[in-house]
Amino acid sequence: MVHKKDFMFYLRTVVLYIVLFIVVLLVLYPILFTLSSAFSDKTSLSQSSPIPFSDPLSTKQFENLFAKTEYLKWYGNTFKIAVMNTIISTVCTTVAAYIFSRFKFRVKKGLLMGMLVLQIFPSFAGMIAVYVLLWRINLLDTHFGLVLIYAAGQLPYNIWLIKGYLDTIPRSLDEAARVDGASYLRTFISVVLPIAKPMVLFLAITSFTGPWMDYIMPRILISTTSKKTLAVGLFEMIKDRANNNFTMFAAGAILVAIPFMIVFAFNQQYLSQVLSAGAVKE
Amino acid sequence: MVKDNLYKQPIKDKRSIFASTLFMGLGQLLYQKQYIKGAFYALVELAVLLNINTIISKIAGLITLGEARPDLPISQRPNSLFYLIDGIIFSIIVIAFIILYISNINDAIKTQRRYELTGYLPDTKRFLSSLGDTSFAAVGLSPIMLMLVFFVLMPLIFSALIAFTNYSSPSNIPPAKTVDWVGFDTFRSIANQELWAGAFVRTVIWTLLWATLSTTTSYVGGMLMAMALLNRNIKFPKFFRTIFVLPYAIPSMISLMVWRNLLNGTFGPINMLLKQMGIISENIPWLSDITMARISALTVNLWLGFPYFMMLITGILTSISPELYEAAEIDGASKFMQFKKITVPLMLYQTIPLFIMSFSFNLNNFGAVYFLTGGGPTDIASTQSGAGGTDILMTWMYKLTVDLRQYNKAAVLAILVFLVIAPFAIYNYSRTKAFKDGEL
Repeated sequence: MVHKKDFMFYLRTVVLYIVLFIVVLLVLYPILFTLSSAFSDKTSLSQSSPIPFSDPLSTKQFENLFAKTEYLKWYGNTFKIAVMNTIISTVCTTVAAYIFSRFKFRVKKGLLMGMLVLQIFPSFAGMIAVYVLLWRINLLDTHFGLVLIYAAGQLPYNIWLIKGYLDTIPRSLDEAARVDGASYLRTFISVVLPIAKPMVLFLAITSFTGPWMDYIMPRILISTTSKKTLAVGLFEMIKDRANNNFTMFAAGAILVAIPFMIVFAFNQQYLSQVLSAGAVKE
Repeated sequence: MVKDNLYKQPIKDKRSIFASTLFMGLGQLLYQKQYIKGAFYALVELAVLLNINTIISKIAGLITLGEARPDLPISQRPNSLFYLIDGIIFSIIVIAFIILYISNINDAIKTQRRYELTGYLPDTKRFLSSLGDTSFAAVGLSPIMLMLVFFVLMPLIFSALIAFTNYSSPSNIPPAKTVDWVGFDTFRSIANQELWAGAFVRTVIWTLLWATLSTTTSYVGGMLMAMALLNRNIKFPKFFRTIFVLPYAIPSMISLMVWRNLLNGTFGPINMLLKQMGIISENIPWLSDITMARISALTVNLWLGFPYFMMLITGILTSISPELYEAAEIDGASKFMQFKKITVPLMLYQTIPLFIMSFSFNLNNFGAVYFLTGGGPTDIASTQSGAGGTDILMTWMYKLTVDLRQYNKAAVLAILVFLVIAPFAIYNYSRTKAFKDGEL
């Protein structure tokens, strides 16, 4: 009897290991294939070997990427847009959240409810309108117009998020500063913001990463090639069926993915905080 | 008590109220000595009256959307879209003005009541000091609220209105041609034409199926991996976990574009690999056969989505107190019973909100479909309607807007999509911590 039980136990563990190793392969294959393509000397998908790192290594893809496309320009554009979005979003959101959390005024409830309703609408619902609106105010095909749309679109959700966090910070702290004669602005900057730092940092990171991966808005609003963002530029490299640029695309893709994975590693503690904020409280 | 009286007492002297009803701020200025407030109200009304012609013509423009003027060069023809957008802006201004007007009358009534009750009028000094708090809020909030009205609220109103116009290619694209109101015609033409109705029904069914299956597979996949790695017989769980989290750390857009190439039917390395290993002899049409493309999309989404649930469920499972299991063990419960009666209920209870959040995200998961399959494969009907075999409502709307320029049909879809997702969204927000704990 004991013998049979031992055997079943080992069999289960072995099967489990086999399953885990298959998952490891499935997870790693696309990543390794992309890495090897980026350092391959072949140009198209059809010439590349399906087994990663079996083609000769070269940096040709990166040279092509910088010489034949405006990749660096797109990288710069996206970086610029991300920084602008981070600044505008963070300032507007924290100021508004502070006011909503600490002040009492007549239309407060109405505004908060209004924002709650606004964030139900997905941002793309106004896709056509945003184009016409920027056309009307002559901001079509500009990065500033794109940033305005991003920053405004995130406001309702973010204001609620930060307001909720500020509500948990005891009022006595900033009231003490007020009693000592600090102005509202001063109280906000030197008392409230430092306490809310983890949440503000999380907000800054999400506003920074958002524009890197958005395709729809820049595709609709930006038409000049040199003003494009990375998402649009990268997708256009591989959009056609011939797949002639896959290796070059791979080079461009890993240059975006690596910084993102570094940010992810640093960001994980904040991420787990926010994830757990979403779960039901015990 | 005072407050109750304030509302019950009939007003004896109604002159100030009549004056404020006649012209904003007049009552406050003439009878109530509220100079600052009164001047503000009066200036607003003056500004509106001075611009009354512009306001009327802009609102009239909202109704006509501009006359067609084929005789003019294109750059000078009236642009219906600008008429529409200006009309919306001025309507918002008019509504704001009406609200201000009503608040002006209410203010006059309130001040008069207080005067008749106490015999005093609030003096300017007191008014200014009461403004101190409000003014910081007003100055800080107004630019932000303006931004919201202009870039978030207005586009939504605009899109909703487009659904009731004929703004579509080829015959109604400004500035060359004008756009007109057509009522519910666009809704009717989608409902009545077989091509569109068929595409709509197919897309809605697939959207719901997609959201359900993609969320469920990711959840179950994540749960299985979380449980496997918590098994005490597995060595190096941290090593496995680090690898499994990779798909979550890489931007999903990049992964999807890579998968699009991996699954390429003719040159894709996956088909090549399978052929070299002798598993298949013919290429598998991963993305070009409708059923296969749907399965591929779900599989790739599983690849992308399971790490999130794995991380989440690992956290929840490790936080379940071991005493619960020990007690169950003593009572003679089998491993399966422990799983069924302890693990599953606790896990579900904590993850259902996130499951629903993920479901509503997947309903509109543009990238997972568009970057992988482009919504394809297409057939004869879908080249006209734009809706391919794996298109969800969201990607179909995008194609209607960008590729086919059927803006009015896209707007109708946006309204319908909203009706579908609103319940989920409302549920999500009603259970967030901010909403529950926060005072409004």
